[in-house]
This record gives sequence, C-alpha cells and structure tokens, in this order.
Amino acid sequence: MYKDVTITINGEEYHEHIPVRMLLVDFIRDVAGLTGTHVGCTYEGVCGACTIQVNGEAMKSCLMLAVQADGHKVSTVEGLAQNGKLHPLQEEFNEHHALQCGYCTPGILMNAEEFLKENPSPSEDDIREALIGNLCRCTGYVNIVAAIKSASEKMG
Amino acid sequence: MYPAIIDNYVRPKSVAEAVSALVEGGEDALFIAGGMSLMQAIKSRMVSPSCLVDLQEVSEIKGISANGDSVRIGAMTRYCEIAAASELLGANEALVDAASHVGDRQVRNRGTIGGSLCWNYIAACTPAACLGIGATVELVSAAGGQRTLAVDDFLGSPLETDRADDEIMTAVILPAPSANTGSAYKKWGLVADALPVVGVAVLVRIDQEEVCTHARVAFSGLGDGPCRSAAAEQTLIGAMASDNDSISKALEAAAAELEVQADMWADEAYRKLLIIELGREVAVTAFRRAGVHN
Repeated sequence: MYKDVTITINGEEYHEHIPVRMLLVDFIRDVAGLTGTHVGCTYEGVCGACTIQVNGEAMKSCLMLAVQADGHKVSTVEGLAQNGKLHPLQEEFNEHHALQCGYCTPGILMNAEEFLKENPSPSEDDIREALIGNLCRCTGYVNIVAAIKSASEKMG
Repeated sequence: MYPAIIDNYVRPKSVAEAVSALVEGGEDALFIAGGMSLMQAIKSRMVSPSCLVDLQEVSEIKGISANGDSVRIGAMTRYCEIAAASELLGANEALVDAASHVGDRQVRNRGTIGGSLCWNYIAACTPAACLGIGATVELVSAAGGQRTLAVDDFLGSPLETDRADDEIMTAVILPAPSANTGSAYKKWGLVADALPVVGVAVLVRIDQEEVCTHARVAFSGLGDGPCRSAAAEQTLIGAMASDNDSISKALEAAAAELEVQADMWADEAYRKLLIIELGREVAVTAFRRAGVHN
C-alpha cells in the first residue's frame, strides 16, 4: 500500500514513503508543504486550480497519483519566480488586476507558462481556448486574458 | 472524493511485462494510461483497483508511424501528439479534429487514444472519430497472442469493449491516407470543448468525377454510445460532392434512423437538429479534404 518515491519539485528532491492512493496534489501540499497549488473541485478534475507542470507540461495534479510522478520533475507556482524576480506572467497579472481571490491563479499561471512557450504570439481566442481547463469564479476572465496577452508581448 | 486503498503500483517497461503484471495483480488490477478518465473513476470510487499497472514507460506502444499501407498509432500516444500529427491530415483528419478538442490542454497532455478507446465513455469523441475513419485496434494477450479487430467490433456498450482481462491494446491502425479521401469531426456541447451533446464524424472517398464512392458516418453523444448511420452512408454514396441536397438528405436520414435521447442538456428535437446542421458542416469539410474543388 506504500511506495518509496523520489519526486523533484522546483528543483528540490523529495524522497518519501507514501500511500499508493495519495494524489499528487496532496503530496505537493501536505508532504512538500507547497500550498500554492489548490484543490477546487471533487472527483471530476475540471476546475484546473491544481494545475502544475510535470517535465514542463501542464497537468492537473488532482487527477494524478503521486506515484505516477515518481522520478519526474514537477514545477509549481512557488518556482515561477527565479532568484527573487517575478515571471513576466506574474508581473502582468499584478499590472492587469487579473486576480481577486487568487484561488484559480496558480493553476492559470502554470498552464499559461507552458502555453506561451508553445504559442509565443497567441491571439485572444488562442488564450481563451488555452484557459478552457481553468475555471475562475471572480474575474470573468477579461483581465486574465489581457495579462497573458501582455506577458506574451513582454516575453516576445 | 478520495481513492480507496490501492495495494500495489507497478511500472512495467514492455508490453510483455505489462500484461504479465496485470495478470499477477489479480482480478482487481487495472491498467492506467493517462488516467484522465480512470482517476475520476478511482476518486469517486466507481472503481477500486487493488493494483495499478502504469503504462507510462511502455515506450514500444507510443508514437505514430506511417508506412506505405497504414498509419500506426501506439495506444499510449497522447491527444496532444495526435493533434499535432501531420501524418494524419486529410483522410484521417477526423481523429486530429477530435483529439485537438478533448477536455482541455492539461487533459491533452496526459490522455491517450488507447485509454479513450478502452474506457469507451458513452459520450466520448475519440471512439466516434475512430468509428468514422474505420480504424482497427491491435490487442496482445498475456499468453503472447495478438489479434486485430475493427473498432466497430471492439467497442461494446458504454464502458465495455471486447478487450479481455488479460489483454492490452497496443495500437490503433488507420488506413494510409489516399489522395481522394477526407474525414472530419466536430462536436457541440454546452460550453467550449465540453463533452459532446452530439458529435459527428464523416469520412468520404471520391472518384475522378467527384462522386462519392465510399462513406462512413459516425456519431458521439447519443444514448447508446458511439454509432454509425447506415442510412446516411448509403445516401452519400453515389452523390456528387457538390450536391448539398444529397448531403442534407444523408444527415436527415441519420436523424430519422438513429435512436436519439432527450436529457438535461438537449431534447430530442435539438439533438436531431445538431445531427443535421453539424453533420452537414462536417460532411462538407470531409469532401473538401478529399480534394473536392468547389
């Protein structure tokens, strides 16, 4: 029922003895103590607040078991800023008031970071399509889309 | 919502190791591919596997390769890879259309074609797109046997397939694209890229005079799972590609022939409307991809 795993999160290796049934989101939050990644829905995995990256690809950590991430590199929102410098996405989210309660924000940032690597000059429609897997109840998405567009221009 | 206790987790590196691990795991052992459907079932305790056999390192069943006669898609190939596959444009493009819009981009980074076919969720797009194209699936058993069967025969009632408890799906095989064949898929749901209320897949082959010589028409979102419409297919065969009347008649025949359910997302009349309107758009796209000039 337990497995030994080695999961790297934001460059730091975690060697742990965990239940097979532990969700990756719970490993990130409870074992690694990184609570920036959020749980916003139940078994469906549709809200996207738990979105992180595994080997640079955006995935929903509530729809994964931690054991599936054994041996892999996970990136969470805590790792987005480098050496104290905010990522352009974080700067633009601040600039454009793209968060209110902030609950959906980490998931959107981790999704958008990969998305912009694949699509450095997205249209507004492209951005909206990329955000299908991230639900926000506060903002109505307008400022989120503007922030991502702005970040793409800053990074381009 | 939380999984029940899972006793064991193994990560085989080959097909042979994988089927052997499944058998050793006992009757409550399950394969896990991307897990985009299975983890929902595990978290809601619809299933409570005693052992999970994780296929993520079985590299021999990943990837897309085209030879002269066919295109082979490894069962562990992800939606994002299929969505980007230029080998699948034209004749097999219905699968690209379907894979590009499953769930959301996070789901497409994990979910696989094999997982989708083996789960056979009632409303899912990928089984219907494969039915529309006329794909074949390859299965390997623990005893080392291998068989291929048409996806029509593989897919059963919702959440059921012909896969035996000791078999693994290794590949989905599509016909090699031919210049005069095109396919397309489109769905409609209540929000962008939602599970389909109705989805339509059409494949057509045309001759020199742009007359349809072969057609397959399949649907997702209906009450008994993915299905074809013989009436629609027969109406399209012999029709001129530019004959919009025949295309409309074909989809109207499908709407009349098929068992169409009413539920909280759409009533019967609306589903029939979608079959006709969405179907018409998909058929026109399929003809265009087959090389029709109009």
